[in-house]
Amino acid sequence: MPDTHFYRYDDYDRALVAERVEQFRDQVQRRLAGELTEEQFKPLRLTNGLYLQLHAYMLRIAIPYGTLSTRQLRHLAAIARKYDRGYGHFTTRQNLQLNWIKLEQAPDAIAMLAEVDMHAIQTSGNVIRNVTADHFAGAAADEIEDPRVWCEIIRQWSTLHPEFSFLPRKFKIAITGSPNDRAAVRVHDIGLRLWANEAGEVGFEVIVGGGLGRTPMIGKTLREFLPKDELLAYLEATLRVYNRYGRRDNIYKARIKILVHEIGVEKMRAEVEAEYAATKDGALKLAPETIEAIARQFAPPPLRPKRTKVPEVEALKLENRAFALWLKSNVAPHRVPGHAIVTASLKPAGAPPGDASAAQMEGVADIADAFSQGEVRVSHEQNLVFPHVAVESLPEVYRALERLGFAEANIGKITDIIACPGLDYCALANARSIPVAQRISNHFAELSRQHDIGDLKIKISGCINACGHHHVGHIGILGVDKNGVELYQLSLGGDVDFGRTALGTILGPAVEADKVVEAVDALVATYLEARQAGERFVDTYRRIGAAPFKERVYGAV
Amino acid sequence: MAKNLSGELHVASANRLGDGLVVFLDDAGQWTTRLDRAALARDERAAEILLQRAQAEAFGVVDPFLVAVTESEDGTLEPLSLREKIRASGLTFAAIAGEAVRYA
Ligand code: SF4
Repeated sequence: MPDTHFYRYDDYDRALVAERVEQFRDQVQRRLAGELTEEQFKPLRLTNGLYLQLHAYMLRIAIPYGTLSTRQLRHLAAIARKYDRGYGHFTTRQNLQLNWIKLEQAPDAIAMLAEVDMHAIQTSGNVIRNVTADHFAGAAADEIEDPRVWCEIIRQWSTLHPEFSFLPRKFKIAITGSPNDRAAVRVHDIGLRLWANEAGEVGFEVIVGGGLGRTPMIGKTLREFLPKDELLAYLEATLRVYNRYGRRDNIYKARIKILVHEIGVEKMRAEVEAEYAATKDGALKLAPETIEAIARQFAPPPLRPKRTKVPEVEALKLENRAFALWLKSNVAPHRVPGHAIVTASLKPAGAPPGDASAAQMEGVADIADAFSQGEVRVSHEQNLVFPHVAVESLPEVYRALERLGFAEANIGKITDIIACPGLDYCALANARSIPVAQRISNHFAELSRQHDIGDLKIKISGCINACGHHHVGHIGILGVDKNGVELYQLSLGGDVDFGRTALGTILGPAVEADKVVEAVDALVATYLEARQAGERFVDTYRRIGAAPFKERVYGAV
Repeated sequence: MAKNLSGELHVASANRLGDGLVVFLDDAGQWTTRLDRAALARDERAAEILLQRAQAEAFGVVDPFLVAVTESEDGTLEPLSLREKIRASGLTFAAIAGEAVRYA
């Protein structure tokens, strides 16, 4: 592929972002002076990631593939302190939202972001949005290849791509490089899964037409195995078909999932393959040097294998139960022996999920500098990850996280709740999400109990747009508005694990806000009584069905 | 005890252009962040006029609209809908977070 398609990250990106900042500064000035109406200005501010929410402007900052350097994280903290109220919210799209940005200061905030090569472009509008990836990328023991290389290739190809600047609707891509899908690839417009075929070649399974929102759908396989160097040509063909046939007459029917659903995956495949045949050997075929050059940016840190059993860790495990639980739930295997991946929980008991203060962000950056090669990840489950921690450093990391309030041993447990901002912030919301998450979190705060209950994912959305992914929660909670009263619809059995991806089924009538905790408690009690050895909540639900859960919940509330 | 639950009482609200904060139109035609200073329309006709005034004063705010409120015996205004209650009085979750949130 010619270099013109591929700009070098540093020069081209910086010039482009700097130009956009100045353009936006001018647009803001004209709006404040009354030269632009809100109608004229709104699309301009949205293009720059600036939304007007219930109480203030919100800036949505893209964190490409969820990877942050400590310099960037410290800078985000400084921006939150200088231009916001000293905290930010990490979202299910691996973005950071600042909730109290002033329009007058937004260009300065965006200019400050640009100092660390970050921006808020393409976090809104009908374009290809921030490409998300497995938050354990480049570190996970089960990984085949680092998916971020491909996220970056897609990012460069799609940023301000002229042909795809006015798609029928927004477009979200996620990539996983591991058989344990931590990126939820089956519920994205396009999901890509790297895998090795029988010949040992690594390529992509291309999944299309997944998505949540008003009409949730599980993505279907468009191509079982796509050679890696053909990725951009194939994506371009897919986007072209979507651009051509996707519906523009009805916003609710405009996502690619509706197109795939309406014409069927076979027809979609035929269209894409026909388009692809015409272009596959053209300019978008990726040269090995191009792939290698990008891959070098993601070269793994030079970690040497170390002891996997460390006496100090073993000793602390025996004397400190919370630490022992934390090792179980928040520490995952690393590809290099003697190292580990640590997840910092942004869900301490009773806290708004995904929020971090500027001081906490700086604390996380300090830990990453000292113990994780200066790297931090944002997970779509709204936590922060240290991808490269030596096992021998785990006690120190744990203590440092305790001081920040991020050492809760609850990853994957009932209080590791995903919740969207809901009616506390969001102009589209029907009901609140955060207080519901907080009450459940307070109720189940006891760690031994959480670990006894085991893996259980609760996901909460404040409206049908499903930013809180409620459709794929083991327990999904959706806020609805009935005659001005907040009610919550419960669904069971959703899942994003690879091979088991499923949408939840609504349990019954929505319950009142103050009954949600009781209802969840009843669901958990039903599971604990019925479970067989080794079964997670969702496994028991699949085996025994909804009836016992339903009976207990509606008997209780 | 609320005097009026039928939604006949209205104030005009908007978000302030410069910082996005929630504001209400007062009797002097100024935008204020205080609901207790908001001009109150007591019937449909007054509400129409209030909205027109708000639109005429819209320089410096975004998209003015009417908010149905109730008025208690002591004159305290409260929006009818939960959304507007939250807009008027701010985030609702700090009290639940209690000790857990340590925004240093
Ligand atoms: S799900 Fe609805 S309420 Fe929640 S953030 Fe998305 S749009 Fe807002």
